[in-house]
Amino acid sequence: MRAGLSTIHQTLTPEAATVLSHSIAEASRRNHGQTTPLHVAAMLLQSPTGFLRQACIKSHPNSSHPLQCRALELCFSVALERLPTVQNVSNGSLGLGLDPPISNALMAALKRAQAHQRRGCPEQQQQPLLAVKVELEQLIISILDDPSVSRVMREASFSSPAVKSTIEHSLNATSTSNSTNTNGPIKFGFRPVVDTDHSSVATHSANRNLYLNPRLQQGAASQSGQQRSEDVKRVIDILTRNKKRNPILVGEPEPELVVKEILKRIESKEIDGILRNVEVVRLDKEFASDKTQMVAKIKELGTQVGAKIGNLDCEGVILDLGDLKWLVESDQSVGLRGGAQQQPPPALEAGGAVVVEMGKLLRRFGEESGRLRLIGTATCETYLRCQVYHPSMENDWDLQAVPITVTASLPGILPRFGNNGIHNRSIESISPMKGLLSKNLGSSQKQGPCPQCSQNYEQELEKLLATKDSESESTQPALLQWLQNAKVHVKTLDQTQNKKQEMILDQKIRQLQKKWKDTCFNLHPNFHRLGLGSDRLGPASLSITSLYNTSLVGCQPKSPLNGNSGEALQPGSPVRTDLVLGRPKTPEIIHKGRLRDLSGCVPSEPQKKLHDLQSDKPLKASDADSFKKLLKGLTEKVWWQQDAASAVAATVTRCKLENGKRRGAGSKGDIWLLFSGPDRIGKKKMVLALSDQVYGSHPVVICLGSRQDDTDRESDVSFRGKTVMDRIAEAVRRDPFSIVMLEDVDEADILVRGGIKRAMENGRLIDSYGREISLGNAIFILTASWLPDNLKSLSNGSISMELDDKKLASLASGGWQLRLSLSEKTYKRRASWLHGGENRATKPKKETGSLLSFDLNEAANVEDEKADGSRSHNLPNRLVSGSGELLDSVDDAVVFKPVDFNPIRRDIANNITKRFSSIIDERVSIEILDEALEKIMSGVWIGRSGLEEWMEKALVPSLQQLKTRLPASCESLVVRLELDDESCKPSHGDWLPNSVKVVVDG
Amino acid sequence: MGVVEEAHNLKVLGSGDRVTVLAHGFGTDQSVWKHLVPHLVDDFRVVLFDNMGAGTTNPDYFDFNRYATLEGYAFDLLAILEELRVESCIFVGHSVSAMIGAIASISRPDLFSKIIMMSASPRYLNDVDYYGGFEQDDLDQLFEAIGANYKSWCSGFAPLLVGGDMESVAVQEFSRTLFNMRPDIALSVAQTIFQSDMRQILSLVTVPCHILQSVKDLAVPVVVSEYLHQNLSCESIVEVMTSDGHLPQLSSPDIVIPVLLKHIRFDISTV
Repeated sequence: MRAGLSTIHQTLTPEAATVLSHSIAEASRRNHGQTTPLHVAAMLLQSPTGFLRQACIKSHPNSSHPLQCRALELCFSVALERLPTVQNVSNGSLGLGLDPPISNALMAALKRAQAHQRRGCPEQQQQPLLAVKVELEQLIISILDDPSVSRVMREASFSSPAVKSTIEHSLNATSTSNSTNTNGPIKFGFRPVVDTDHSSVATHSANRNLYLNPRLQQGAASQSGQQRSEDVKRVIDILTRNKKRNPILVGEPEPELVVKEILKRIESKEIDGILRNVEVVRLDKEFASDKTQMVAKIKELGTQVGAKIGNLDCEGVILDLGDLKWLVESDQSVGLRGGAQQQPPPALEAGGAVVVEMGKLLRRFGEESGRLRLIGTATCETYLRCQVYHPSMENDWDLQAVPITVTASLPGILPRFGNNGIHNRSIESISPMKGLLSKNLGSSQKQGPCPQCSQNYEQELEKLLATKDSESESTQPALLQWLQNAKVHVKTLDQTQNKKQEMILDQKIRQLQKKWKDTCFNLHPNFHRLGLGSDRLGPASLSITSLYNTSLVGCQPKSPLNGNSGEALQPGSPVRTDLVLGRPKTPEIIHKGRLRDLSGCVPSEPQKKLHDLQSDKPLKASDADSFKKLLKGLTEKVWWQQDAASAVAATVTRCKLENGKRRGAGSKGDIWLLFSGPDRIGKKKMVLALSDQVYGSHPVVICLGSRQDDTDRESDVSFRGKTVMDRIAEAVRRDPFSIVMLEDVDEADILVRGGIKRAMENGRLIDSYGREISLGNAIFILTASWLPDNLKSLSNGSISMELDDKKLASLASGGWQLRLSLSEKTYKRRASWLHGGENRATKPKKETGSLLSFDLNEAANVEDEKADGSRSHNLPNRLVSGSGELLDSVDDAVVFKPVDFNPIRRDIANNITKRFSSIIDERVSIEILDEALEKIMSGVWIGRSGLEEWMEKALVPSLQQLKTRLPASCESLVVRLELDDESCKPSHGDWLPNSVKVVVDG
Repeated sequence: MGVVEEAHNLKVLGSGDRVTVLAHGFGTDQSVWKHLVPHLVDDFRVVLFDNMGAGTTNPDYFDFNRYATLEGYAFDLLAILEELRVESCIFVGHSVSAMIGAIASISRPDLFSKIIMMSASPRYLNDVDYYGGFEQDDLDQLFEAIGANYKSWCSGFAPLLVGGDMESVAVQEFSRTLFNMRPDIALSVAQTIFQSDMRQILSLVTVPCHILQSVKDLAVPVVVSEYLHQNLSCESIVEVMTSDGHLPQLSSPDIVIPVLLKHIRFDISTV
């Protein structure tokens, strides 16, 4: 840095270089570690040419008083005094010889000046950097850009941008009027006056963010809330103490509002303690209108206050001074004419007299009994002027300045010198009570816990380190939905387990620190000198709450989801989080109970359920009716799953009832059912029937697994870009009264399962846009192929659905046709089984192979064993665990037993035969060929139309047709229902043929 | 909550000594950084915000005059840094925000320790000796399309710009944020961006710049990154990534995030 100094000097004009060297000398004199822009600015203010000083005066809208600049100088010198000094006294001789190096900020300013200088003169643009010499004006401009400088200027109620624009304005004016002479020093005194509009705007925003979008400022005034109540508390604290108990609220535009609120509370006697019976006296509006009368008015006020205090009821008086500007306000006309005069204008003299008078008044009533208090407001500028014009006021009036921040910025997020805002600093720099105020505000963030708490912290830290491996990780700040997802994503990508754990540990330690700091704050407020109520939210908690973007409605900070997410984080497997996220833990018992319930056997279940239903809550007749009706509807369609049907009916009825009761409390209307078991068709049909019965509509089927053989699927196009949750959300949004079937939930990925689980718990879905959708009255049916272990063993004699599904589907598809053909009886036999003698069924005959036989059954048994074995082998744990997770949350889990197809086949055959016999002569027998029966069964099974329906539609007409064509003697005839291989029409999506061909030959 | 925080949906995440500011480009909002943020929060304080005019911001705050030039956005950026009292930051600007960061860094170089420009272009229009990728006719058609039917323009523009197929998540995501913008604001912003010519300011940038660029990008030809490299007066470095499209941090995070992290973590001398 030292070596660079001469280089820097080369880039400056002699004038600017002199200022720089003086600044360095000043920094060295003050024993500062670095030369900063503040030094340069202070030097520029002092310099005899006084460019900066003049520009400041010019920029100020309504005061050209030189005293204003004195305030500025004061502020700068205070700011300089606060800079850290170098402590190396030991090698003091060396230290004296070394100049303090240029600080980074100053270096940046110099570079900025260079850039501006180059931009200023286009003809020099291509020249090397060194050829450009920075002129004093450019130096000033870039110094004004420095944040520390503009902060100090703001404190003295100057706006650095306004000053800057004044300089630039005159620079431009010079270069246009006298473009050849840009090097000559510019006398601001001779420049045309800057357009006042601009500078007044700039000054108006002096206390605000300079770069702020003006439109935002309009909104700023409506800020309030918690911040204000905090301010109120602070002020009341001041009012109740013995010394420095007269608060002046400094800032804009909030103070008035705060004072108003305080006085309102005092007047309505809301505040206990010594302020309870205090009267408020306000200075009337005309008070300051005639400056010469002010002293007299104060005296008058004195007697008034005396009278009030003499009253027994009144324990004191609070005098509301309003905005203190009347104390320092110079009459506009006088001020403007006053120009460069050194004497304070008359109005200020009057103000001085008021200060003295008021001081007397306070001594009279305040000193011993403490019965007169003052309260007032001021802008930074006004207060500063009071300091300058009435130096004794603060002491005589026993004032305490209270900075009121305009907008609460995120405190502590980026602490800079522990300084919470302009106002603190400004007050501190001018207040005789220097330090206390801003130290309180500033240090509270940085200060660690007291020794006692530190010790506790150390202990906990030790514990934490000891258990870090065994314990599951605790709270991480809850993140936005998309961040959460991203986090999971990232973690899975990142394979560096160790680093991750370290990170988590780090976080924990930080949290521990914070916890103890906070605890300490509460336990030992004295240690933190928390008198002024500067306790703000710590950085961590703030960043959490601030995470929630109002536009991303999806996450509400209050939901248990977010509250709990931290606990759920497992160190080893972050992926699990999504599933574990959520509701406060379900008690184990419920879980177990549920399991027992489920495994405890299906047959007894429905009756028990119904029983429960009836005994627990006296059922109204209508409720029982609706249950019966529902059950009937369900069993009609899914006759082979009687037990499941009654369980479903019972649960749905019960939930509806309960929901109806709970509705008053505004709780859920959604019902969640889990259909488990291998009977896909049965589950599907149950849903169809339920939907038809309950809402009279079609269910929405959303397949979560890999199966694509769904006929109910909408066209794929509409799914593009939509996640499963989106589709669910859309379905619910479209019709809150609908049934949504989520197929193969056990195959769904972990995210979807997590989402579903959260939806169950919260009664709301969150789609991928973060929108929240209420579940309304929708009924959600989850299906899973999972089967309780004990049922697996029970399922002997059944056919593995895994296999059968596909087999059935392939059987039923392919546009097969049936025909009825007539043939001679090859076997003189009446099929006795047709009349219900199951066990008398004959062995199959090789030559015909036409009769229904039980070898199918045997084959199925063999197959079943195989399939069963393989299934339980294949059944991954996740299925069980996944379903188990969901099992906790659903309203009920209904098990669909594996289906034994043989009775169904028999049923179908029986039905067809019965129908045949009723239409055609009893004597004629019908023979249903195996393949045909198989196909019919699968068609009935998969298709939507029931057997009866199909027979009415397709078979009966053919039978009637057959009847007319039957020969007279038909004793020896057998009608065969067989596959019609010749006519293989392409299927139209129907699983059963529309008609049955009748072939009568001979 | 200050008005700036609220207006820009300002978020500060993570912890660390250094501050990283992530600025999104046209048609997106801060969520465009979702893949990057989790990697940063442990080492950096990450500042996220929405540019005025983004769908997530209050349209009432959008001052058509203020945002008729990129300077308006640059002032916003400075206002944010002031508000948070950031002393120095690593600025990651995507698309137009890279230029906004550059402008802001010229007036306040002290606030920026380096700028990472992703898919940045100083000028989109072709010019003599300059290939920006667009002719004036193209742009006129573009603006007309925006004005005529915003929704259909969005659905057409999103896949083009992202460089993925219609159903890719990134395209969906971008269409969403794009369509979130109020159409008149979107048109104004698009005009401001596409008609901007920031070539002359490049020579004033003093903060080190890292230029990251997709090998295939509809809005920014690869040569532009070289142009930036040649014309920035500061130290600069170019890395062309194998990713596709203008929003690679969204569409190919697996390629882009490591590159971004490298450039955020290391300075030019050590990259």
